[in-house]
Amino acid sequence: MALLEVKDIRKTFTQKRKPPHIVLENLSFSVERGQYVSLLGPSGCGKTTLLTMLGGFMSADTGQIYLAGKKVEGPGPDRGFVFQNYALFPWMTVQENILYSLKVQNFNKREREKRLQELLDISHLHGSENKYPIQLSGGMQQRVAVVRALASRPEILLLDEPLGAIDFQMRELLQEELAALVEEAQTTVVMVTHDVNESVYLSDRVIVMSANKGRIIKDMYIDLPRPRSRQSQAFKEYVSELTELVRQAFREGGSYRQADIPARDRGVDNNFVASYNRMHSRYTNVANGRSRAVK
Amino acid sequence: MERHGSTIPDVGNARLSLGDAFDKYRGSFYTLIVLVILMIIWNLAANKIQNTLLLPYFSETAMEFITAWGDPVIMFNLGLTLKRVFTGFLYAFIIGVPLGLLMGYSATAMQSLAPLMNSIRQVPIMAWVPLSIIWFGLGDGPTVFLIAMSAVFPLAINTIAGVEGIDSNYYNAARSMGASRRDLVRDIVVPGAMPNILTGCRLAMGAGWMSVICAEFIATSAGFGFLMVEAQVRLETAQLYALMVMSGLVGYAIDKVFVAFERKMTSWRFKDGFVGS
Ligand SMILES: Nc1ncnc2c1ncn2[C@@H]1O[C@H](COP(=O)(O)OP(=O)(O)O)[C@@H](O)[C@H]1O
Ligand SMILES: [Mg+2]
Repeated sequence: MALLEVKDIRKTFTQKRKPPHIVLENLSFSVERGQYVSLLGPSGCGKTTLLTMLGGFMSADTGQIYLAGKKVEGPGPDRGFVFQNYALFPWMTVQENILYSLKVQNFNKREREKRLQELLDISHLHGSENKYPIQLSGGMQQRVAVVRALASRPEILLLDEPLGAIDFQMRELLQEELAALVEEAQTTVVMVTHDVNESVYLSDRVIVMSANKGRIIKDMYIDLPRPRSRQSQAFKEYVSELTELVRQAFREGGSYRQADIPARDRGVDNNFVASYNRMHSRYTNVANGRSRAVK
Repeated sequence: MERHGSTIPDVGNARLSLGDAFDKYRGSFYTLIVLVILMIIWNLAANKIQNTLLLPYFSETAMEFITAWGDPVIMFNLGLTLKRVFTGFLYAFIIGVPLGLLMGYSATAMQSLAPLMNSIRQVPIMAWVPLSIIWFGLGDGPTVFLIAMSAVFPLAINTIAGVEGIDSNYYNAARSMGASRRDLVRDIVVPGAMPNILTGCRLAMGAGWMSVICAEFIATSAGFGFLMVEAQVRLETAQLYALMVMSGLVGYAIDKVFVAFERKMTSWRFKDGFVGS
């Protein structure tokens, strides 16, 4: 049995005075232990919604999620979650952030100290343990967020656009750091992204989701040796094939989303990338604003 | 590598440079100039009016001001007023902060308490004076009550805003790491709302200090506000001015203490952003 099993998930959002919006329907896939899987798709196709359900912060209308044979019914330390904005606690130092899961799970001092050293080793954060998140660069914050999620040895690491907020020049560098970090931690990863290049660079397998109810339009293995070269012909072929698939996924969105698209973007299909990116940032903001924690 | 935080590279500005030592005191220097100008205007006006009952000379007021700090009666009454302010503030804190935390955290508490709170808040603070005298008689009781009454709302409202402003992902992150509800309150809700709670403290203290003086005009026969009424009755205008300046300075000093406390309690907010490679 696979480590993660997602079975027939359906999720609908209902808002006042609007028809119910089916975000995901009949969604199924599974992830083997040790795999690095990317969920790739245009903005608004339901990637964050899916990952949020994997995290246990939200429940599906129908369908089940199993992790290591156990049904997912709420958040828990068997899943390490890295948020798009990292959600590092700004009032805690790097060390306190990293050790938070061990603290609330009452690990003793010796265990905590030992784990801290291991995590500082793999994240190359020695010397920064007493700094506050505000004092760190974007890349360091990302590493803190990843090792914090890894601290209590989760079965799986869930990453929501871990580099979404990083500007273009830094992204490739941080992708390399992330690859090395995950490699050392030897963990299973499900990562959400809308960046084709990033998904090919990092993943063993890319699942392309459609803007139409999150339908899986492609499940592709990336058969390239690591560390990967972005310059290689094979890499570029994967990128162009997936780019075409993402376009298709975007077009499948159909007309029911028209109302969600800013007026200036409607019918601007020729400038696909620009409108796509603009929508992306917009939807991310909207979704983050809405998703209040269940208290 | 990119820069983070608020550090802006210093592109040599066009300010007149008078050396590093001066730059450090530039602010105080300007304040001093303003004070001197005010003093000159004051004396010119006093010269013109020629009525020390309305406007005593600056020098006269300054003398009163200096002697006031050595006057045991004034110091005793100042101490009394300060004690009232801190007592009232303490009550307001004990009620306002937990109330704010509860209302910010629980939608049910918010829905049931907000209308009540928002209407009580609209009653002018001085309108409580008669009732507070009926309840507590004259003396410390009504003044402390009025201070608490004026301080509790800024505290509660800022605490609510603080809790509501906490990024929902902080809760999600903590929960996914295994935090219990108690952990969430201790590690997320309280520290997350702390900056606003401390702002609330400053505003509450200011409101308390302002209302105590008014309350002492009416509801008591001791305290700093009472001294002002006394000075007015005895037609000692210079002393009245001196007392007013004093009350302003004491309020200012209290605020400074709170600012220092704020910096200490939430030092993580005041670190420099990341700079470098
Ligand atoms: N809490 C919510 N309430 C209503 N609609 C939502 C909510 N969260 C997300 N949506 C909608 O569901 C769709 C999928 O959102 P999301 O999962 O954030 O997409 P992605 O992460 O792929 O960009 C979007 O159209 C979004 O507007
Ligand atoms: Mg998203």
